[in-house]
Amino acid sequence: MNQWKNFNKGFFRENAVFVLYLGLCPILGVTTSVINGVGMGLATTFVLLMSNIVVTLVKSFIPDKVRIPSFIVIIASFVTIVELLMQAYLPSLFNELGLFIPLIVVNCLVLGRAEAFASKNTFTSSVVDGLGMGLGFTMALFFLGGVREILGSGSFLGFKFIPGDGILLFILAPGAFITLGYLIMLMNKINKKTA
Amino acid sequence: MNKLLTVSPSPHIYGKDTTPNLMYGVIIALIPAILASILYFGWGSVIVISVAVISSVLFEFLIQRFLLQKKTTIQDGSAVITGLLLSLCLPSNFPVSLIILGSLFAIGVGKLSFGGLGNNPFNPALVGRVFLFISFPAKMTSWPEAKGFQTQFIDASTGATPLNIIKEGLGKGDSISHLMDKIPTYQQLFFGNMGGSIGEVAAVALILGLAYLLLRKIITWHIPVSIILTVVIFTGILWLVNPAQNADPLFHILSGGILLGAIFMATDYVTSPMTSKGMILYGICIGILTVVIRRFGSYPEGVQFAILIMNGFVPLINYYIKPKRFGEEVKNG
Amino acid sequence: MAKKESSFVNMVITLFVITLTASIALGFAYEFTKAPIAVAKHAAKMKAINEVLPEFNNLPNEEIYKKAIDNDTLYFYPAREDNKLVGTAIETFTNKGFSGNIKLMVGILPDGSINDIVVLEHKETPGLGDKMSKSKSDFSLQFQGINPENFDLSVKNDGGDVDAITASTISSRAYCDAVNRAYNAYLKGGKK
Repeated sequence: MNQWKNFNKGFFRENAVFVLYLGLCPILGVTTSVINGVGMGLATTFVLLMSNIVVTLVKSFIPDKVRIPSFIVIIASFVTIVELLMQAYLPSLFNELGLFIPLIVVNCLVLGRAEAFASKNTFTSSVVDGLGMGLGFTMALFFLGGVREILGSGSFLGFKFIPGDGILLFILAPGAFITLGYLIMLMNKINKKTA
Repeated sequence: MNKLLTVSPSPHIYGKDTTPNLMYGVIIALIPAILASILYFGWGSVIVISVAVISSVLFEFLIQRFLLQKKTTIQDGSAVITGLLLSLCLPSNFPVSLIILGSLFAIGVGKLSFGGLGNNPFNPALVGRVFLFISFPAKMTSWPEAKGFQTQFIDASTGATPLNIIKEGLGKGDSISHLMDKIPTYQQLFFGNMGGSIGEVAAVALILGLAYLLLRKIITWHIPVSIILTVVIFTGILWLVNPAQNADPLFHILSGGILLGAIFMATDYVTSPMTSKGMILYGICIGILTVVIRRFGSYPEGVQFAILIMNGFVPLINYYIKPKRFGEEVKNG
Repeated sequence: MAKKESSFVNMVITLFVITLTASIALGFAYEFTKAPIAVAKHAAKMKAINEVLPEFNNLPNEEIYKKAIDNDTLYFYPAREDNKLVGTAIETFTNKGFSGNIKLMVGILPDGSINDIVVLEHKETPGLGDKMSKSKSDFSLQFQGINPENFDLSVKNDGGDVDAITASTISSRAYCDAVNRAYNAYLKGGKK
């Protein structure tokens, strides 16, 4: 398999957020700013990469009937590790994201890649897939967080360039849906051109 | 307008009602409300209305011409109505830049994102209004008091709307009879002498518009009447049960945006049910939701949310309450 | 590689091994992060205490005492400069927020006046209620140096002396409620 293609599919053709629509609950919740979005994205990438690695290593030892519970235990362990690390070393980010970190466990993206890819492919492919999908997810959260922060707070990466309040709607949940809708529209246009 | 053939069961009746005809009828019906708003709020109202109308039409043109590269439909008058209705539910001191933003949102997100007139599930003007209300709550809730026509640009003194007074007062534990002293009299409410959005204050102007729409048969009575009756009955029950905590029905009808919403916004063809039975159900639900939000919600006014929520149910209503086919026997009498 | 057969013994062994490995890994992670997490939490609390009280040189965190008033338990952090009480930081809360609980740290001086207040935790609407945070607006500054004895701790709409945040009366009310709770607890025996 062409590893480059395998890597970049996570960004465009099979982008978790814009094309597969996976893991929407946490991303709508946390993308009120770029930092939060990217933080969530990187945490998910870490979990995705580690769970892909472990799943692909142990795939032949796991009987089919208990594969889903096994995957969930593996994923949940990594999520808990991320949660503990973040609490210890990035307490301010943890304050913002805290509620959503445990939700990575039920992010369909992570289980989906373990089930659909890592349990059927080689070690290298799974690492590349985990990285590509995770970074593609992070990219999506970066754009979503960026648009919402610029429009909603008039700032970017915490740097305020418009005095006063932004358009509040974009910070609130409906704004997340509206922004996501328009970004999906853009993505469809890009994918149509490159296809 | 629409070059595609419409397939529907025969017989076909040709009507002379075209989209522009109906739209301009609505605009004429809005004239009393526009005049009343200018009478009460002066130049502020002229500016708000003209900015909203011009920017709505302009955005419709720009987006259709350059972004979608389709034929433009601004001549059908629907963008003008969107702009007008949007402006009529804004305060008269609303910043021009935000009016333009609201129009962009109403036209761009509320209407053209869904495919333009006929395909939008939600009333675009209300989408714009709720967008502004949620995004800029501070500016959307400082209502200049009606001061009569003034020629200079002044910062009118701001005050609460009657509904705000009631909501805040009840929150503090005041009783209605005590609060009634602070709010305008029924005459003032009827003629529009109070704080509020520019188009919703003068009940008499809106009722004139309703009469015109009904006479020209542009709308039927079902939606406005069912909304207003429901509000009267529901608030009436609350009032009879506990007059100390609930304002009376007449107050509820004359204050806030119920008349504007019931007559001009809920009746939008695209976003309301097709059958008269469906319209009545739709109206009743809007009425109930409005009162529930006003009385039990955290916002003083709920009519715009109620209409938008029910807009979302219209496809469902249309699905279950279908028009009777021509010649179909009425079962069981 | 051939898949392992889904026999009962195989499944039990697999799940046992996986859960055992996972718990060992988590145990290590927990031990590893325990100290830094405690440090981070302590630092956040100390920062708040430092902000709301004047200079002190004891460790208020070690002299913490709690007091139950009207079914609520509040935590008190007395601050001393050379064994003389210079103020008390009170961790207070309200459940009247627009969305969820609000936690505040209120610093009260020995004479009963409020020195300063910081928000520890809240979920209020961004752009509206979150203006109660010091970094977002000057709302909380009006409490500095006032004595609730001659200052009505409720918003002006309710007949008090507090200027509410524009369009966020509910959040402002909740804020006042939390401050009031701290002050009442302080009067009713929280003072030491």
